[in-house]
Formats: sequence, C-alpha cells, structure tokens
Amino acid sequence: MPGLHQPCESPLMLSQIAFFGAVETGLIYGLVAFGIYISFRVLDFPDLTVDGSFPLGAAVAAVLIIAGWNPWLATGMAILAGMAAGAVTALLNVKLGILNLLASILTMIALYSVNLRIMDGPNVPLLMQDTVVTWWDSLLPAEYYFLAPVALFVVVTAIVLVLLWRFMKSELGLSMRATGANPRMARAQGIATGAMVVLGVALSNGLVGLAGALVAQSQGAADVTMGVGVIVIGLASLIGGEAVISPTTVLRALLACVVGAIIYRLAIAFALNADALGLGAQDLNLITAILVTLAIVLPGFRTKVQARMTRNKA
Amino acid sequence: MISADSLKLTFGKGTPLENPALRGMSLTVNQGEFVTVIGSNGAGKSTFLNALAGEVIVDSGRIEVDGQDVTRLPTHKRARRVARVFQDPLAGTCEGLSIEENLALAIKRGQRRGLTSAVKRSYMERFRAALAKLNLGLESRLGNKMGLLSGGQRQAVSLLMASLTPSSILLLDEHTAALDPKTAAFVLELTQDIIAEQKLTALMVTHSMKQALEVGDRTVMLHQGQVVFDIAGPEREGLEVKDLLDLFEKQRGLEVEDDSLLLG
Repeated sequence: MPGLHQPCESPLMLSQIAFFGAVETGLIYGLVAFGIYISFRVLDFPDLTVDGSFPLGAAVAAVLIIAGWNPWLATGMAILAGMAAGAVTALLNVKLGILNLLASILTMIALYSVNLRIMDGPNVPLLMQDTVVTWWDSLLPAEYYFLAPVALFVVVTAIVLVLLWRFMKSELGLSMRATGANPRMARAQGIATGAMVVLGVALSNGLVGLAGALVAQSQGAADVTMGVGVIVIGLASLIGGEAVISPTTVLRALLACVVGAIIYRLAIAFALNADALGLGAQDLNLITAILVTLAIVLPGFRTKVQARMTRNKA
Repeated sequence: MISADSLKLTFGKGTPLENPALRGMSLTVNQGEFVTVIGSNGAGKSTFLNALAGEVIVDSGRIEVDGQDVTRLPTHKRARRVARVFQDPLAGTCEGLSIEENLALAIKRGQRRGLTSAVKRSYMERFRAALAKLNLGLESRLGNKMGLLSGGQRQAVSLLMASLTPSSILLLDEHTAALDPKTAAFVLELTQDIIAEQKLTALMVTHSMKQALEVGDRTVMLHQGQVVFDIAGPEREGLEVKDLLDLFEKQRGLEVEDDSLLLG
C-alpha cells in the first residue's frame, strides 16, 4: 500500500497520505467484497476463484494498456476476463457436478498459469502509461493530487453499488437470490437455477477482475502474486461490514461491503502505523486473521452479554 | 390435463439398495379434476409427484401435460404448467425474502424474467386482494420477511403462490402433514376454496384415508409403484375408510400392515 510508512504526526495518528491510501484501497476492495457477497451470501457458493480472477483482471488490463488500448476499454476487458473465470468455476460445479469449493480451487490454480501466460512473465509494470488514474488526475487541479484516486474510486464504487442494488431488485436478481436461498423452490417457480449460479459467479468474478484492474493501475503494476489472500480480505470486509451495518436489506448489505472494506483497511493502517504496537508489514496476515476472528465473534458476544444483562434484571 | 403412461423408475440401480419406486405407473387426470392420492410409505406417492414435477426423470414411460411431452424436461421448464406446494412449510417460500418478493417470484412462474423491477407497483393490488382472502392480516405486512411467519401462514402463502398464475396441474404433496391439526384444517379448507374458485386441476397426496375420501372428486391408491385402484363418481360417494381398506385388501389380496393408513 503506498504511503503506509509515511512519518506520522503522533504514534496513533495516520498521516494524511496513509489515511487516503487506506480509504482508496478500501474502496477498491469494496468491489471485491461485492463479489464475495454475491457468491457467499446471495448464492451460498463458497468461491475461491477470486484469488485468481483478481490478478487475472490486473494482468489483462496491464497487458492491454501496454499494447496501447484505452485504459477504460482495457478495464472493461478485465471485467469480461473475470466473468469468464467465474463462469468456468460455476460450469465445473453445475455441469460436471464438482463440489463448488473444489471447482473454485481448480480454476484458481489454473489461473496462476493463465496469468503468467497473459503477462508473459510474473509481472507487468505500468509506469509512465496512461491509466484510468492518470486520466482522472488530468481532470482535477494539481493541488488535490492526493485526493484524486480516492475520488475516482468513490465514483466507480458508487456506480457499481447502485447498479448491483438495482440488479438485485430486478426480476433476474430476485431469481438469483431465490436460487441461493431455496433452490428447490426456485426451480418450482421456473427459475433455471444452474444458469443463475453461472451468471452470479461470473458477475462476482467480473467485479473482482475490475478490482484487480484498478489496483494494478493505481499501484502501477500487475503481479501474479497480487491475488494471494484476496478471498480473506474480501471475507474480512464482508463480515466486518455486516457486524457494523446489519444486512437486513440488499442496500444495507452492499453498503456493509464498502464500509467493511474501508474499516478493514483503516484498521490495518492503524495497526501498522502505531509504533507502540511494534508491528510491521510482515504482520499483515496475522492482523487480518485476528480482525476476521474478532468480526465473527464480537456480534455473538454482544448478544450473549445482552442476554446475561436482561437475565440479571429479571 | 396431465397423463402419465407406464412410468418406471428405480433408485440406486445396480447397488444393494436398489429400490424400484415406480413400476409402470399410469394415471390420467382430466381438466378440472381434483384427485386425492393415498398409499402406504414407500408406495411411490412422492416419487410420482416428483416425476410429474420434473425433480426426478423417469427411466421409461411418458408424461404429457396438455398434450405436450414433458418426460425429459427439467423442473424449471415444466413450471409454467405445473404448480406445486411442498410438504415442508419452509420449502415453498424463501424466508430471507419479503412476502411481496416471494409473491413476485410466483407471479412470473415459468415466464421470462428480465431486468425490470421484480416487485412492481401494479402487482400490489392483486397481492393485497389475494392475501386478504387468507384472513391472516398479511395484506398489511407485504414488506415483512417470510421468516417471520409461522409454518401454517407460510404454507397458506405457498398455496397462494401456486395459484397466483394459471397452471395445468397443481401438485400438493401432503402439504398439511407438517402442521398442527387446527392449522392443517385451515390450510385444507383454503385449498378446497382455491381449487373450487379457480377450477384448478389438482393432485393431492395425503396420508389420511379419511381426508382422501372427503376432499376432491376422485381417489387413487398407490401400492408398490402402481395404481391399485381408482374410484370416482357415484362409486366413491358414501365410501368410508373401512370400505377403502376392504377394497385395498381385495385388490391386492394382502393385509394392510401400515397402521398409519387407518388413522386420521
């Protein structure tokens, strides 16, 4: 994450750059959390493809940008590539009857090779290239340079959120939700549940491909290892967000994804910046695991405490 | 109209657990008929219903709905013509979705679904009118989650959903069996009302011989994957559970061992 180790004004304060950096990354990972919301929550399909479709999106966008494509078109192709990867996972499950988790692991492993082939090597630098970030920067006055990426990703994430929300409220989206919640009932209502799973997992990985393409352009490189642990970060964002905003409606669930992703990034930034804790970048995965555990356990703990309080009163 | 012709289906073929569930089952249900289906455990009642709905595909035989061959079609492609209410009150609805969303799913049963809003304002009047008939006060709770409703209420809504759009046949799979007696009576009465009002063609599986004779206008008994008798009209009038048992024994030349058939 750029700017994470900038000098801080006080041990527990983030520098402005670190703060905006965390929000920026949080907004992009909000897209990953949307994807994971669709697969894990809407479809009840535990999908690990994202660890492969994230760098896939990055690789496709980077290679096309280097080849002189318009960065927005390249980003669009990254979405399609992610969707194709998701469709493969879903088809392995729906058509060949492979367990969903295993199907996604197979695709994820295969994508490692695919990504190396696409990039013709382990990484593609994007320095001095026209990307969606440089395009956006050119629209804004120079003195707001540190805000520019954040503003761009606010816009992108907001557009995706509204589109997804409308989709989930549409006839097709409702069919997808029914497919995940009660497939037998969905079939009895004439919904092709297999097709819904393919569409949903494709959509999910398309969003993750988009996130990968944006991360590559904001960080200036696509790397074959950049997908490692994306699933955990996405899940952490999803679960953390749900702990803050209870997902009683689709809109709240989607907002929870974004809020959770930003909180997660800020928590990581605080943890790494707090000198008193003595943590460094190498502790990232440990902190992630602890945060996810807390996010899962705390809501249950809260109700338990409340139950005890009311019992004591009675 | 629905017709099944010599349906055969064996589960677990070639394994020690081989189980021939349907052994040449044939039955034709005419337009507007309300048929009750009885039979002991393992007679093939549920398998027969699943075969008609498309949840299982038969090994051989032919199923026609309104003259169209649907034998090989999966469930979702038959859904336009075949409506269904399950035994489990939780199975027919989505608890995470609101009442209006569940109804909106049902109003498009078997039709193309697009990107327009699923819960349309133009549906509301119809939803409210349909729910009001249940007398459960649900017409003012359209936005509530289905999961907040009791089993009986959910089964009543399932029934409503199955009859929201026209179908060639309504399949009821012991849909009152999992409810308490009072609620079961309510749902059964509702079933009769809806079927009579909309002149639906229906096939109702039941575990109770009494119910099978009191409800509907034709009764079919299954045994070992076949229809063992089929009575309607004057023959069926005044028939009692005991007569039904005698008929069964005469037909099969064996004792009825399943006590559950005597109950209810």
